[in-house]
Amino acid sequence: MLQAIDLRKSYGDNQALKGLDLTVEGGDIYCLLGANGAGKTTTISLFLNFIQPDGGTATVCGLDVTEKPLETKKMLAYIPEQVMLYGNLSALENLRYFSQLGGHDYSQEKYRAFLQRVGLQREAVDRRVKTFSKGMRQKVGVAIALAKQAKALLLDEPTAGLDPKASNEFSELLLKLKADGAAILMATHDLFRAKETGTRIGIMKEGRLVEELSTDEVSHADVEQIYLRHMHAGGHYLQEDEQTA
Amino acid sequence: MIAAIARKEFSEIVRDGRFKWTAGIMAMLLLTALLAGYQKYSAYMDLHRMAQDQTNAQWLNQGDKNPHSGAHYGNYAFKPAGPLAFFDNGINNYAGTAVFMEAHKQNFAIGRPATDQSAIGRFGDLSGAMVLQLLMPLLIIFLGFTAFSGERESGTLRQVMSMGVSNRQLLWGKALGIGTAVLLVIGTCALIGSLALSLAELPSEGESLPVRVALTTVSYLLYGAIFLFLTLAVSAWARNARTALMVLVGFWAFAAFLAPKAASEISKAVYPTPAFGQWMAEMRYHQMRGFDGVPPFVRFNEYTKELFAQYGVDKVADLPVYFVAVRLQKLEEYDHPVFQEHFGRVRDSYKNQRRLQDRIGIVAPTLPLRSVSMALAGTDLIRHVDFVDAAEAYRRDMVVKMNDFLGKAAVSLNSSFGSSNFMIADEEVFALVPPFKFESSGLRETLAEHSGNLIALLLWLAASLGLALWAVRRMNVEEG
Repeated sequence: MLQAIDLRKSYGDNQALKGLDLTVEGGDIYCLLGANGAGKTTTISLFLNFIQPDGGTATVCGLDVTEKPLETKKMLAYIPEQVMLYGNLSALENLRYFSQLGGHDYSQEKYRAFLQRVGLQREAVDRRVKTFSKGMRQKVGVAIALAKQAKALLLDEPTAGLDPKASNEFSELLLKLKADGAAILMATHDLFRAKETGTRIGIMKEGRLVEELSTDEVSHADVEQIYLRHMHAGGHYLQEDEQTA
Repeated sequence: MIAAIARKEFSEIVRDGRFKWTAGIMAMLLLTALLAGYQKYSAYMDLHRMAQDQTNAQWLNQGDKNPHSGAHYGNYAFKPAGPLAFFDNGINNYAGTAVFMEAHKQNFAIGRPATDQSAIGRFGDLSGAMVLQLLMPLLIIFLGFTAFSGERESGTLRQVMSMGVSNRQLLWGKALGIGTAVLLVIGTCALIGSLALSLAELPSEGESLPVRVALTTVSYLLYGAIFLFLTLAVSAWARNARTALMVLVGFWAFAAFLAPKAASEISKAVYPTPAFGQWMAEMRYHQMRGFDGVPPFVRFNEYTKELFAQYGVDKVADLPVYFVAVRLQKLEEYDHPVFQEHFGRVRDSYKNQRRLQDRIGIVAPTLPLRSVSMALAGTDLIRHVDFVDAAEAYRRDMVVKMNDFLGKAAVSLNSSFGSSNFMIADEEVFALVPPFKFESSGLRETLAEHSGNLIALLLWLAASLGLALWAVRRMNVEEG
């Protein structure tokens, strides 16, 4: 569903992505781990065609995102670390606007149903979102993704700064989406949630994917250990990997 | 899709505190300007009617006298304000409102309202046109500068662009939403204003009025659209909202103040208006020495021979027309080309200045709009020149009618050459000269004269639209 083939991107002298190969199938929750600056957000921006790759391709359901940017975006849903909404519009108005932008239009009741499904309090539906907490905004963000009926989701640290309960509710929603067959790519720092919710984990470092794991084959402790080993490995992970292997 | 974007943009603007303040101030100014403009206009027209009636009555009741003396007594032509002067007073404050018409002399228009104003009058009248020309762009800028830049700063642009909407649709939607909000303010005022005015007395020169109103509306809509697309272009192009606002307000100041001032200074330097003292001396010289170098009395001696030959006589006493009257009329006519030349020089300098200003006007949309607006309102230079020409034509007709009457009625005086003090003209004779009535040249001439300005406005619209399309195509969703 989501595929990156030898994807490259530089900002001046800084090579943010040095040939990324990645595949996320429908029903997968692929968690991208890695330090800040490892290239996670760059990867997501490339899938959204917000930036142009210097080499390689990113495809959504087989379509190249640089060739068919509008078609591929229609199949994607994007939830950033901070879901940004229009403060002077209500939750429902925000949801309706973004849905219309994505080419969908539903009845008033349907929009309410979406917001209810993501767990937004009933009284908040018609309130202007400038009064909303971060957790509430993220819920509206998920409702937007649900209403878009996206085949693939791109999540950029969506649970950062959420309290454990909100974070847990968010994970529940992801599992529902996964059950519906969506391909989910999530950049995160939360190793625990990655193991708990994800089906696969990719560890990125300095623009490269250095390790891929299936979550059902490793324990929490393993994930943390492998992650830290890569982080401590300095710039010479390849040689060290080979030596330790 | 575009409608959805427009609706969201509109509700966001209307719910924002910015809108309430700017729209409120704008509406207040516009309504005040329209009503004050109308009050000024109707006071002027009352005065105009009164003065013209009075001067007509004075002309008729000037008392029995020699008809040529009656022509010396003279008459005034007063300029009607122009069909839409209550909306755009144009150059009326500076152009003179009356021409004194008398035998032997063409006079300049006098009575410039600006001379009665205090120094604060320099800032110009608060008119509907001024509010729309200067403040409507500001309203558009204030409501629109965040359209893209603000969404980029707040991060909503990233989410919007992730939805699969095309940049173009976003541009059209935002233009429609902001345009609707602006029209809501201005359209409401225009509606209230025109309702109030329709209850009051409407301008006289009514025939082309609906067309003038319609064309004025279209011109201002074009002007608004130019600023709307410029605002959206800069908002999409600028890194942040602050930069967008600074660039836009800078352009506004340039278009609304700097460019008009510069255009008028440049045009005055290129086509200087003749200095009055020198101009007067040159005209006097031509009058005394004859326009073609033959002094008037020499020419008249030649003409006397023709006259005698025409009637087959050889002395004045046998002429069937009063010789003094013929001479008065001939000397009058010898001055016509002199006046034409020298008043023409002044008029041409103004006309050339205006044409050059119009040509410079391509640098900022405010200049062509200003020209078109006052032309449609009938308060521009062309109409003023029409008025001055009409007054001169009327003067010549008045003089020739009086001299002709004298020529026919005083034939018996030919034998007592020299004494022309003869009270033969009464009210009936003076009534040969109909009251002055000014019919301005039609709308067609106005449009022909201003086709360049209308094209300039259309070019600006095309350029701003092109700029907006270019800016959204290469728009970054992220800051920096």
